[in-house]
Amino acid sequence: MADSHKKVEELTYKEASTELELIIRNLESGDMELEDSLASYTRGVELLRSLRARLADAEQKVSVLLADVDGTDTLVPAEAADTSDTLSF
Amino acid sequence: MPGWNLTGTASSGHTDGDALSVSQAVEMAAGALDALPQLTVLGEVTGFRGPNARSGHCYFQIKDDSCAVDCIIWRGSYAKRTFDLRDGMQVNLTGNFNLYKATGRMSFVARSFSLAGEGLLRQQVAALAEKLRREGLMDDARKRRIPVFCTRVAVVTSLSGAVIDDVKRTLRRRNPLVELICVGSKVQGEGAPAELIEGLARAAAIEPAPDCILLVRGGGSFEDLMTFNDEGLARAVAACPVPVVTGIGHEPDTSICDMVSDRRCSTPTAAAESVAPAMSDLIDVLDARERRLGVSMSALVRGVAGDVDGQRSRLERAMAARLERLVLALDAAARRPCLASPTGMLERREADLMQTADRLASAITRSQERFAVGLAGAAPRLVATTSELTAHRHALDLAASRLAHEGRAVTAARAADLAAAAASLDALSPLKVLARGYSITYGPAGVVTHAGDVAPGDEVRIGLVDGDVFAQVGSVERHVGADAPTR
Repeated sequence: MADSHKKVEELTYKEASTELELIIRNLESGDMELEDSLASYTRGVELLRSLRARLADAEQKVSVLLADVDGTDTLVPAEAADTSDTLSF
Repeated sequence: MPGWNLTGTASSGHTDGDALSVSQAVEMAAGALDALPQLTVLGEVTGFRGPNARSGHCYFQIKDDSCAVDCIIWRGSYAKRTFDLRDGMQVNLTGNFNLYKATGRMSFVARSFSLAGEGLLRQQVAALAEKLRREGLMDDARKRRIPVFCTRVAVVTSLSGAVIDDVKRTLRRRNPLVELICVGSKVQGEGAPAELIEGLARAAAIEPAPDCILLVRGGGSFEDLMTFNDEGLARAVAACPVPVVTGIGHEPDTSICDMVSDRRCSTPTAAAESVAPAMSDLIDVLDARERRLGVSMSALVRGVAGDVDGQRSRLERAMAARLERLVLALDAAARRPCLASPTGMLERREADLMQTADRLASAITRSQERFAVGLAGAAPRLVATTSELTAHRHALDLAASRLAHEGRAVTAARAADLAAAAASLDALSPLKVLARGYSITYGPAGVVTHAGDVAPGDEVRIGLVDGDVFAQVGSVERHVGADAPTR
């Protein structure tokens, strides 16, 4: 677990998710020392909590790739999708 | 209906006498048709059932919105075709009209035909698809895996249409964790393929690179969607360094871009949905993981607890067994006679000793008795042996006196003999002769008794009664008459 030293908040969702799965598999394999497994479990709970929070607080991020006058591309933040399902004519 | 006279009485320019036979009429019509030059007719194929099983000729119809006409392609002409005819095809047919006089049916006999309009486009598209397929651009092995959960997704499409909003809305509802980057481009018309190619390149160049690129467009006519059958664009999709997901048009539409992309979805919405799992799925996954985490941890703890229990019971069993062994050993020790009855041993030894003492005592007594009996027997025997000694002493005394007597007798006789012998010997002794002045001469060969025994010069000793004289012979004179003794 190379990422185990990284703080949970610094991990991306995918990294955190991957690490959590790894921890669970290690625990499920059952050949860990009790101390290690307790440490892993603590880390796993932490990751799980963080992942849940991220799902709950997720906000769509949208940007548009715009070409400047000199031809270089820049990312410009854009509005997220409109979630109102009313039809506009 | 004007122009018709059902009574046949008036206005007709022909009388019965002017009437043509059917053959004549048909012949006229046929001539008129033959006079037409070779024509190329554009029409839609209908009622096509393939070449006739027996003759190999094709009989069908071509039509447009308002008219239809029978059409024939002879076997020889159909054999030269570049594609099979199908109902619905727009086809350019080149040939002439012909009237089959036996039935009066007019047909267009086509000598050659080619696809027209959309049909032509479709054929070209199919040819391009085949070409790219042969190049291997559509091989499944080429297709890259799209991550199950793309967190960064570029969308290349028109920014003005409804499609981009559909994609945004779909992903916002499905999974707002997906970051969207919109790259605008024309999606139809002149220059659209070039813009899309550039859009793909720009999207792939974004730092950090997106997990995949959505190349999407809403539904449209076949011509509208032709942009996505562009060879250059198809090659750009295949060569794009980032995996490409296509969602072009509606369900039945398939473009060449769809065929060469890494994943083909039927619509833009489907494409957007395919790049990330739904939030509810993510929550389910997390729920499942939470359960697995709990289950595995408690299993681990149970396992460890079980191990501890097991070890404790093993310890207890081992301890109990050890104690039991010690108890048995102690019991065994306690049962041994030295501990069970310490006095018993002493008593046994005492008994042994007493027995030995008894044996000793009785043995001594018996021994004394035996000696006493022997002594008692020996005393009279000793006395008996001394009783014969007196007789022997007498005999000895007698023998001693006889020995002394006999001894004296023997020595007396011998003493007398000896004295006589000594007297004789004394009388005969040469010493007495010498005393009277005689001498004895000894020469080299002993006593000199004859003159010849010596020679002049010989050393001689002359024994006298009281000593010896040593002399040298001066000369020898023999008495006359004396025999010469041999020397």
